[in-house]
Amino acid sequence: MTTSTTTRAVAVPRPAAKGRRRRLSRKHREWVAAGLFLAPDAIGLLIFVALPMVLSILLSFYQVSGFGSYTWVGLGNYERMMHDPLFWDSMRITGIYVLVLVPVLFCVSLGLGLLIKQRLPGLAAYRTALFLPYVISLVVVGQLWKFMLDDQTGLVNRTLRAAGFEGRSWLGDPDLALGSVIAVTVWVMMGYYMIIFLAGLQDIPKEYYEAARIDGAGPWTSFRRITWPLLRPTSFFVLLMSTVAALTGGLDLVFVLTNGGPANGTSLAIFYIYQQAFGFGEFGYAAAMGSFLVLIMVAFSALIFALTRGGRFDHDD
Amino acid sequence: MLQHDNDVGRKGPSRRGLLTAAGVMATAAGASALLSGCGAARASGNTLQFWNFYAPQQTPDPAVKRQAQWFIDLVDAWNAGHETQIELVYVPQSTYTNGFKLPSAFAAGSGPDIFLLSPGDFLRYYNGGVLTDLTPYVDREVIDDYGDNLDSRTVDGKVYALPMEVEPLALYYSVDAWEAAGLSEGDIPTTWDQLLDVGDRLRTDTRAGLVFETNPGYYQNFTWYPFLWQGGGEVLDRDGNVAFDSRATRQALQLWKDAVEHGIAPRTLPAAGDVISAFRGGNVAIWQQGIWQVSSFRSYAPDFRYGVFKLPVPPGGEYTTALGGWSFCANSLGRNPEVAAEFCGWALGRMTEECIDRMVSWCTEAKSDVAPRLTALERGAAAGGYDFWAMKKFRDEIAPGGRAEPRYPPVVYKAISDAIQGTMLAGRGVDSEAERAAQSIEAYTRSYEGASLV
Repeated sequence: MTTSTTTRAVAVPRPAAKGRRRRLSRKHREWVAAGLFLAPDAIGLLIFVALPMVLSILLSFYQVSGFGSYTWVGLGNYERMMHDPLFWDSMRITGIYVLVLVPVLFCVSLGLGLLIKQRLPGLAAYRTALFLPYVISLVVVGQLWKFMLDDQTGLVNRTLRAAGFEGRSWLGDPDLALGSVIAVTVWVMMGYYMIIFLAGLQDIPKEYYEAARIDGAGPWTSFRRITWPLLRPTSFFVLLMSTVAALTGGLDLVFVLTNGGPANGTSLAIFYIYQQAFGFGEFGYAAAMGSFLVLIMVAFSALIFALTRGGRFDHDD
Repeated sequence: MLQHDNDVGRKGPSRRGLLTAAGVMATAAGASALLSGCGAARASGNTLQFWNFYAPQQTPDPAVKRQAQWFIDLVDAWNAGHETQIELVYVPQSTYTNGFKLPSAFAAGSGPDIFLLSPGDFLRYYNGGVLTDLTPYVDREVIDDYGDNLDSRTVDGKVYALPMEVEPLALYYSVDAWEAAGLSEGDIPTTWDQLLDVGDRLRTDTRAGLVFETNPGYYQNFTWYPFLWQGGGEVLDRDGNVAFDSRATRQALQLWKDAVEHGIAPRTLPAAGDVISAFRGGNVAIWQQGIWQVSSFRSYAPDFRYGVFKLPVPPGGEYTTALGGWSFCANSLGRNPEVAAEFCGWALGRMTEECIDRMVSWCTEAKSDVAPRLTALERGAAAGGYDFWAMKKFRDEIAPGGRAEPRYPPVVYKAISDAIQGTMLAGRGVDSEAERAAQSIEAYTRSYEGASLV
């Protein structure tokens, strides 16, 4: 090979300028290739995520009329936020929403993951049925549940009445509406996290369970000593993603199911921010609340990282 | 390396060259697609956009089809005789009102040239400086022809929006449910107490006795205002002072609270808010709704036996109802505000036969509304547009005495909405809610700068 190259160099002399052109090393070429492959995503993230975030933070220092007029107000929007009882009420509701939704979703998804890991007849159909709500439009889900939870004719109340109980106003009673929204959210999201848990469960070698069984371990001991510790990275992922989703999501379902009512009972922070921006044209104020919510989300994520050590196993330390 | 050597003698473009060319072409194609996407937000060339929630759209609903066709005919007629063309852009109503489409467009500086606006949104858009003064484009006689119906769209004697319809509120009831409960025409309630009593007699486990709007929003406030006004209450008095914390406010809040607390009115809308389905399914006996439902009954349940009656009044109160309805507006920051305003004036603000007939057609054929102009109302009546018993009732009994929907800005709306929701659905005290709302409105009006709130 060396000979061939030398021969060619002699046979076809290159112009001086080209001969002097510095060629990239293999390592550098790999870096360039990697950069080119990453570029579309990186540029997309930069334009559609990072840039809007920066602009949103900048916007939070302005009073925006919604018609092209921007007035610098410094920390005025943040000061207003601190004294806005409706915002803090929406933060309280968001807190309850997150604290109830995330553990419930976690447990239900994990339970379903464990269930569909078993070799049961008709498992594929069962797995598909559980995952199906996740792929349905949230607006359709909202409408569907609106009918199911209807006070007079909804399936839920009809069933309750048939069983001798009294029907309730699931979406019209402030004491029940948030719970109903959480229940519908769990119904929608459980299939997705179930699949994530299933992937994590299938990664655990069967030999561990066989060895445990030989040693006399029952199902609970196997779960506690093998499944739970080895699921740590998956659990971390589910916990983090569902917390972020709960903090910043829920708008679609709330919009369709309750429109923030009854009596602001389901007015999550994200809904209140949306209402201020698009309903009232308070884009600057909404940006300030949005930035604050991002801060809360980062704090929550950091807390989860700290508590779970980023999902790492003990021996990774 | 050998392969590299082999490339040396190859003629034509190299692989790298091809990849580079393909990359450049892909970038160019992507960029042009992105740029054309940006441009699509506004009309091109000599065309103005008219954003609305009627047309063009494909729908199986015969009533909506008629309304869409009216808009298409309107724009076709304009386009046939004018150099600057109008293009209809359909925006679903859920995204248009209380949604993100219109606010986002205006915030981005690319609002539509012509658009529909409700009274509840009027002040925000006026104070934002995007409404064109339509007065020069409207015949002088037309201002008188509109009468009071222009009040909520006027600032300092200048008209900034032209109403296309007037939509009064009343109470619809199911005749079958009425008869099944042993009630007769003589039991039509005329007082609030009678209304609650009748609602109580009509309700069952699967049928709501009386339905008031339950979803928070501008519409719920709109449906509640008549009860406030009937007792002499106001949100703001004639001078713009806050007058919300009053006996009339408390009794209006109490009426809705009592209806819900006694199980007469449901906490959520039957049939997820589908009025016709709820009546046909026997899930509701009385429902407060607007004149537009006459058209819906005609299309979807022509044989359904229903009745309509005026909103009852409190002791010592005076009858009134709220008059809603949408208007045509021209964007002063649009591509051609003069032509946009000219279009609005041409469509609804001329004394010509064609213009009056157009309004008659909208209010009596495409929809079921009271015409906002006297000439159109009279011509519609002469043409038989109000011969149908329900339309006649709305025109002769329900609409007279009505008041236009107020144009309160979002903070005022929200304070009132919270008071309604808090008392009606959360069981809070009417005194505290009325006081709290009044304080919120007071705080807002102290720093408010803009056109008159009343």
